[in-house]
Amino acid sequence: MLLHVFPVTYFEFACRLRFPESVVRRLCRLASFNGAFFIQQAGFVVEDVSTIIKESVEATIGGNAYQHNRVNQWTTSIVEQCLSQLSKLGKPFKYILTCVIMQKNGAGMQTASTCFWDNSTDGSCTVRWENKSVYCIVSVFGLAI
Amino acid sequence: MEEFHNGSEVSPDTNSPFSPVTCIENVVGGGDYSQSQVNKWTANIVERCLTQLVKQGKPYKYIVTCAVMQKTGAGLHTANSCYWDTAMDGSCTVRWENRTMYCVVSVFAVATA
Repeated sequence: MLLHVFPVTYFEFACRLRFPESVVRRLCRLASFNGAFFIQQAGFVVEDVSTIIKESVEATIGGNAYQHNRVNQWTTSIVEQCLSQLSKLGKPFKYILTCVIMQKNGAGMQTASTCFWDNSTDGSCTVRWENKSVYCIVSVFGLAI
Repeated sequence: MEEFHNGSEVSPDTNSPFSPVTCIENVVGGGDYSQSQVNKWTANIVERCLTQLVKQGKPYKYIVTCAVMQKTGAGLHTANSCYWDTAMDGSCTVRWENRTMYCVVSVFAVATA
């Protein structure tokens, strides 16, 4: 099969035709599934990281109300779960995760971040999540090694 | 930061140590929490902190985050986790408050060399 024998060419072919990212990634996964040369998408992929964060927050907090005695556990669990999923991606990145959980009672809150890094290789992803009684903001910063 | 982009040399400035508390106090001062100003405050705080850090001239990438919250009795919890080289990289978190607000500034430094 052409894909099995020339996986790199297939990937370059797809990129040159400017296939949408989702298609290119499917081709990469096909290449690895066939046991051919594994093509890993370089760079910080915001979509993947965002999915990891959302799943982790849903699984940890879900529909629970804000509870002072549990929130410590929640923040720890969210950052740990996200970090282990991120390291499983196997990319050459150092990661920094921050998680803020705030009770909904009408208080105002503003956050900002700024970074001094390499714009071409490094990236970040911030996810804002809420339920009836809790706001949760998770940020992931990925710095290429 | 423009100095770095041009590639010109910046001598390390070790005479003025980095002080997040000074940055916060210079920006917020004695003011009360104000929804119209808070956006400007957080942006100014992170910018000033980053400028001071970059002036140090060390071979690091920096990430500075700042959270300002109004004091109304709401609970707030923050956590950080880092996957890096523990020998070379580090972080620093400073909590500041006045009568009407809390401010939490975190700086993460990741070695490049």
